[in-house]
Amino acid sequence: MSNNQSQDSKAAEASQQTQQQKPTILEEDDEFEDFPVDDWPENETEQAAGATANGKDLHLWEESWDDDDAAEDFSKQLKEELKKVDSSR
Amino acid sequence: MASQGTTTLDRFLTSLAEIVRDRDGAKLQDFLQIEPPLPDVYGQMVAELRQQYPNGSPKEADLLLRCEGLVPKSKGSSAWTSFPTFMKLYFSFLRDVNVGNLLETYNLLKVLLNQCVIALGDSQFGIVVLPTVLYLSKVLAKLAMGLDRQPELIAHLLRLEAGSDQDETAEKVTLVEKSANVVREAFIKCLTDRSGTPGVHGKPEGKRVGIYLMANLCLKLLFQCGKLRNAEQMFASITAQSPPLKYFPASQRVTYLYYLGRYLFSNNLFFPAQIALQSAYNQCHHQAISQKRLILTYLISCNIILGRFPSRQLLQLPESEGIADKYIPVCQLIIRGDYIAFREHLTVNSSTTEWFARKGVLLPLRNRCEILVWRSFARKVFIHGGFLGDPQNQAQRGPPPFLYLNKLEAAVRWLQAQHSSSPPMIPFATSLAASAEKFQFGSQVVSIAPDLDFAYIDGPVANGTAPDASILSKYADYLCPDSFFDATGQRQSNPTKTLVDGSPDADYSQYELNPYANGITQEAEKTSPLMREIESILASLLTQGLMRGYLTHRNPRFAIPGARLRGALPTGFPNVWQTIYARESEDTGVPGWVQPPAIMAAPAGLAGGGRVVNLAGARPVGVQ
Repeated sequence: MSNNQSQDSKAAEASQQTQQQKPTILEEDDEFEDFPVDDWPENETEQAAGATANGKDLHLWEESWDDDDAAEDFSKQLKEELKKVDSSR
Repeated sequence: MASQGTTTLDRFLTSLAEIVRDRDGAKLQDFLQIEPPLPDVYGQMVAELRQQYPNGSPKEADLLLRCEGLVPKSKGSSAWTSFPTFMKLYFSFLRDVNVGNLLETYNLLKVLLNQCVIALGDSQFGIVVLPTVLYLSKVLAKLAMGLDRQPELIAHLLRLEAGSDQDETAEKVTLVEKSANVVREAFIKCLTDRSGTPGVHGKPEGKRVGIYLMANLCLKLLFQCGKLRNAEQMFASITAQSPPLKYFPASQRVTYLYYLGRYLFSNNLFFPAQIALQSAYNQCHHQAISQKRLILTYLISCNIILGRFPSRQLLQLPESEGIADKYIPVCQLIIRGDYIAFREHLTVNSSTTEWFARKGVLLPLRNRCEILVWRSFARKVFIHGGFLGDPQNQAQRGPPPFLYLNKLEAAVRWLQAQHSSSPPMIPFATSLAASAEKFQFGSQVVSIAPDLDFAYIDGPVANGTAPDASILSKYADYLCPDSFFDATGQRQSNPTKTLVDGSPDADYSQYELNPYANGITQEAEKTSPLMREIESILASLLTQGLMRGYLTHRNPRFAIPGARLRGALPTGFPNVWQTIYARESEDTGVPGWVQPPAIMAAPAGLAGGGRVVNLAGARPVGVQ
């Protein structure tokens, strides 16, 4: 509320610099920190940055994950086991 | 009204009067510093205050009088009396605070904030103190949360306080929760500002600019103290009275959607939680790594529960560092279908679970994803042991693809045997699979170590003997109480401390204690308890739409009719996310997230009838 636009962008630059300097280590703190700036334009959001990074929307989620690989260990063993059921009948 | 020996205070008051006259809230907040280290000028002012207006002296009334001079006096309107009271408290705080006693500091600060919130309530001038309310709230929150993490700092003081006020029945309210309650008052003042347009058609103007600032701070405190239920009323009030979220600054939007998403997640509303958290992630500043990481923690949990796994691309992002290695094994276990390994992975006391538990996602993941593991398992058994239909004979009418459930039963037994050789997990999964079906009680698919308190129910019962001494030593107050109520409701004393209900191991063999004893048919007896459990798991999968087809109980089978066109697998085991999305996306509204009202296009020529009026923003008469 006390920030006007020019202050915002200046603060944004400053915060970006400090954020770049900080090494990305996992902080044990689970607290959602306050953002160093109040507001930012659309083109600085994750959505916009993710899209420009690889020219299209970042593919975030796998909807099809069913495993049909019969050669995979668990499937192979299961298959052998089920054969035994058939032969014992 | 300047006094002798108070030059600094005089100048301070003069400046304050100008600030209030100009209604410069930001500058007022800048002046009213409380956090050490304070600039030297504050030290001088404190010295003057202690000299001229000592604590408890009659001169304190003069100080209040001087503060009253700060408020502009205008004709016809009531003076802003709460502000001088607040200023007087501010000076007292500076003068008296002793940071050596953090509990006292907390209490003084809370009183100060409380008065500031009252000053905020003024319809004319209240907005001037909004930045100060926010500032004081943040300092109070920081102090409360700091003390919450290091309770040893004030443990001795709390003991003293408790000694003087011994009411054991009263609910203990933590400092964090007390702070949340004060901040909530400020939130309500912001939300119920009567100036301008209220509700969904309004804009963030007047005190409404503070709605989400105060809400976010309050939510942070409520999450910290685990009183999420107290947030419900806040979300309801926001839904009823707030302007749309999109008109507020990005930092407030993202923070609010993060807390809203976590709240919905905690209430098992995973689909709306996913919408809120995805939006928080999308709108987050792309360089705010730590915030993005926290959002992702809950967003990924939501999506896994809804049947969507994080992509490799997502897991390689910098914000996924430290969380990717937590979620990859969970996804792999769901895909593999080994439900025992899945349980073991998320068992209590395993090192991986500690992280999930701290984030508050352990139980939702464990309880909601196990059904997905079962789907994968059933699917694999179907692939390798089912009748997939006759591809040669597609045009002809043949039997639909099906799976004999005894195959699944055999697969379960095989899986149990596989895991019995691995070292047992403690204590949730003690010999998880080894002795399944030896248990008369509980699940057959997994054997869970029974609650220690009931451990003996599986053991042989020697009828007529007195209970074990170890049982008596633990439960004597329950089995042999000082007094009890008899069959007529009369209180009877029990001076000899005998077993009031007789021996717990009394012989009841002449009574039938099984409520289902008469319902068991011969056919049911042929079915193993394990098969009955497998049938109910599959029935649950079918009910949820995660498998499609039907079960036959006699000669147990799972059949997939109508599979000729698309094939047995896509028909019988439809895509999980698409199934859930189709069901949930009928309503994409997220409770607690105020959207701009839909613009209603009034088609020409349509008058009166058929017009839909959006009443989302309507409020009952008389409600503020």
